[in-house]
Amino acid sequence: MTVQPRLAGETGSWRASARSWYASGDALPFLLLAPSIVLMLAVIAYPMLTGFMYGFSTGTLLKPGKFVGLDNYLRLLQSPDFLHALWFSLLFAVFNVIGCYVLGLALALLMNQDVPFRGFFRVALLLPWIVPSIVSIVSWRWMMADQHALFNQIIGAFGGSPIYFLSDQNWAIAAVIVIKIWRSFPFMMLSLLAALQGIDRSLYEAAALDGASRWNQLRFVTMPQLRNISIVLCLLMTIWTVNDFDTPWLLTQGGPANATENLVLLAYRYTFGRNDVGLGSAVSFITLIILMVLVVVMLRRQRER
Amino acid sequence: MAYPATSPARRWSLFWLLVAITLVVNLPIILMVMNSFQTTEQLVSRTSILPHDLTLANYRYLNERTSFWQFLWNSFTVSGVSTVTSAAIAALAGYALSRFRGRLVTGYSRALFVVQMFPIILALIPLFILFRTLGLINSPLSVIILYTVVHLPFATWMARAFFDTIPRELEDAALVDGCSRFGAFVRIVLPLSGPGLAAIGIFSFLFSYNEFFVANVFLKDQSAMTLPVGITMFMQQYSTDWGSLMAAATLTVVPTFILFLGIQKWITYGAVSGGVKG
Repeated sequence: MTVQPRLAGETGSWRASARSWYASGDALPFLLLAPSIVLMLAVIAYPMLTGFMYGFSTGTLLKPGKFVGLDNYLRLLQSPDFLHALWFSLLFAVFNVIGCYVLGLALALLMNQDVPFRGFFRVALLLPWIVPSIVSIVSWRWMMADQHALFNQIIGAFGGSPIYFLSDQNWAIAAVIVIKIWRSFPFMMLSLLAALQGIDRSLYEAAALDGASRWNQLRFVTMPQLRNISIVLCLLMTIWTVNDFDTPWLLTQGGPANATENLVLLAYRYTFGRNDVGLGSAVSFITLIILMVLVVVMLRRQRER
Repeated sequence: MAYPATSPARRWSLFWLLVAITLVVNLPIILMVMNSFQTTEQLVSRTSILPHDLTLANYRYLNERTSFWQFLWNSFTVSGVSTVTSAAIAALAGYALSRFRGRLVTGYSRALFVVQMFPIILALIPLFILFRTLGLINSPLSVIILYTVVHLPFATWMARAFFDTIPRELEDAALVDGCSRFGAFVRIVLPLSGPGLAAIGIFSFLFSYNEFFVANVFLKDQSAMTLPVGITMFMQQYSTDWGSLMAAATLTVVPTFILFLGIQKWITYGAVSGGVKG
């Protein structure tokens, strides 16, 4: 628009108030956050509300169904598939968190010493974390696919009989957990290494002066210093493991006989396999609630510090 | 280095221990790369773990008989666009988190935590239905929108960590000279955070490039698939053709490695400081 004498007082005052709002300094943070808030509303808030509604109704991906109240949730509580998925999610998270924490801590302690080419090892040990999930699964699958695969050749060389890693339920569970640990430990290692390097060296000097052995230095100096970050890291890892779709899906597709199906895989199967949006949404909503509880615990801890 | 006075003997024994650990840990990847130069017949019949008679047959097969390059192109498009959008949006939000306080900013930080833990499957169900009516299934746009949001928490925390290192005095000086607050951000702070933004961008690119779940739900048509989804299709169609599968996986990982080398010194920034400091 070209320059014009002010016509409508209304627009003028709207503009003036907008300008004074901006000048007051309250506007800038809002404007900076606006694009991401809009996106979060569309991709997180809207689906969260709709998903909540879907959980109380029947319906397919093609057409909405009718309201059925708590029916979906009641059906889930009686479904062995759901109870199994809940149990497997827990098992998966607990074993992965313990496994990758122990491995990550051990490697971080090793790397926190004066080793030649430390920078190289730091990068090389991160590879399992940065390769795409599909690549790690292809490489692992080849080693355990059938009775002629590498692991079974090794077992055979020692006189053992072949193990069907992907078609035996217990072995499949073990395989999914081991691969998940392999994919997760570098993150733990890296974070713990950063924390170790932040510990004040004078604490060790004081402990050494008091005659503390290396083991006691680890126990009474290092571990207490790592306590807070360890709790946060383990909670984060728990969240990521509960949300993991790639590892179990790409390795076993939840099989054999749904043995490696966690809550996310179950929600996916109900929704996109059985075309039951209500049941799938209910499962995902329960997953959200479980994770929410974890996050509240985490935020509490953050505030305590 | 927490432990002082290490003897050379100890240093080098630690070194060899780490060499062994690194080899064992990366064995699946090393074997995959070596096996990609063997035909499936060689792989099935050979008795030693090391490859012999290296061949490019698998790569030739990928090039001539599959849509590998199409998948790669799709991956690059999706990752490239979502990288630019998430870096831009995260830079704005990260600046707000770094320089302003108040209820809005606190609330926003909380929301980022929610996004971080959000089970993406819960978003995928309603969005699949919505995108189907909008005709966005098989469109790169569907995946780009989701990636932008999924990357938001780490990218914002990382941007904030970079902006925190830039002294406020610089902006104050610009304000005195008559620059607006936003002008100071664009003209002073952004140019100084080039390396930081580059790191955020490479991270976003890596995450999008590696991502499988979201792409698997929205990209159903072969012409739209990104690499991870495309490879699962190979896996289902030729489940026993290990040679080509290994070659596809090896080629997939090449861009990942190159980008990773570019960001490895920044890695603790986003992954750790962001996620932990909040």
